[in-house]
Amino acid sequence: MRRGRVDRTLVVAGLATIALGALLLLDRLGSIDLRFDYLAPAILAAIGIVLISAGLS
Amino acid sequence: MSSAAPVAVRRDPQHGYLGGVCAGFAARVGIDPLLIRIGFIAAVALGGVAIPLYAIAWVLIPAEGPERPAFQRLLTRQDTWLVAAGMGCLTASGLLLLRAWDVWIVNDRFLWPAVIAATGGALIWRQSQTAPERVAQRGRLPRQTVNRATAGAALVVGGALIFLYVNDALAPARDVVLPVIVILLAVAIILAPWWIRLVRGLADERDARIRSQERAEVAAHLHDSVLQTLALVQKRADDPREVAALARRQERELRAWLNNTRPSGEETLGSALEAAAAEVEGDHHVPIEVVTVGDAPLDERGVAIVAAAREALVNASKFAGPEPISLYVEVTDERIEVFVRDRGPGFAVDDVPSDRRGVRDSIVGRMERHGGRATVHSTPGYGTEVELVIES
Repeated sequence: MRRGRVDRTLVVAGLATIALGALLLLDRLGSIDLRFDYLAPAILAAIGIVLISAGLS
Repeated sequence: MSSAAPVAVRRDPQHGYLGGVCAGFAARVGIDPLLIRIGFIAAVALGGVAIPLYAIAWVLIPAEGPERPAFQRLLTRQDTWLVAAGMGCLTASGLLLLRAWDVWIVNDRFLWPAVIAATGGALIWRQSQTAPERVAQRGRLPRQTVNRATAGAALVVGGALIFLYVNDALAPARDVVLPVIVILLAVAIILAPWWIRLVRGLADERDARIRSQERAEVAAHLHDSVLQTLALVQKRADDPREVAALARRQERELRAWLNNTRPSGEETLGSALEAAAAEVEGDHHVPIEVVTVGDAPLDERGVAIVAAAREALVNASKFAGPEPISLYVEVTDERIEVFVRDRGPGFAVDDVPSDRRGVRDSIVGRMERHGGRATVHSTPGYGTEVELVIES
């Protein structure tokens, strides 16, 4: 039986997207105040993690 | 008189990051794409005119081969640049966060130089991870590694210089450095055409050398297979069944060679040499004693040593008479050695006519093309020994 190979980059990209979505949801619910000063670093961090994962896989 | 048609510029998305425009131009000019990319980034930094030019080139210049979406290509490249860009993003993210928290040192004068330096540092760090066995195998660092490490160092130095510049620490040096840079730029512009011509000349020379080696490989293979079989066919012309069998086997061998496939059961050097010995024994009806010490997977160099040994066995079968031929193989971690010995009449190696391709091309030339060596020891009246050696 063949097992499908896990694409680590896609998994990391998915997790990063979920994390960003969770932040936006918390902001929408009023739990946190997500200003641009905090959103921009979060997006950059997500992009950085995905790029590093892609480069190292 | 003939004139070569000019080669059109084609984008090279397979080796590019976005649309493959820089890679395409580099392939057309015959230089490293990194140089074109550095020029592109410099043009972006000097006013951004390169961005619309790149977009226009992306739209107008057709791609070489099939093209996948840029995002998909980018994320499926296992590339040092991705790690460097990712490290730059992470650094920018951390510093932006610190700036939002009003940490004293983090301001715009510090942020961007730090991001550039971190990107360069990541590039250098990744290049330092180059597998030691690759370096040992080539005897020096791969060219790409050197280029990327240089780019990384340039980024780190550039980041430091920008930091000093925006903090006015470079003011005293500016009056001296600016004229020097302008003069260097002028010299570079003057020398660029010669440099490009030199690089292209070297690339052409390398292509010609590769073509020549490939031609020699094809000639050696045809000599060892088709020409030898035709000689056997002439010799056995009175036996139609054997002639037909020879023709069928040659056809199979030629098809396998054209399709780049390998007969089953010949996955190791020892088994391939034994198969070659059995084949020569069957063709020439001369006993061959095979002794193998150690074995190794059959790679490209192994295929070459098998072909050279086979040619030596064929020569021994043709000229050494009915006495058994000895094939001795020794494989160690350091080297592969093959000895083919016969007790025939021997010959004077220096007296072999220059138009005889067997020893010169199929044995000595083939071994040299694959980084090995072949030595023929023969004295008239005392037999012949062919020694084939490839260092690991």
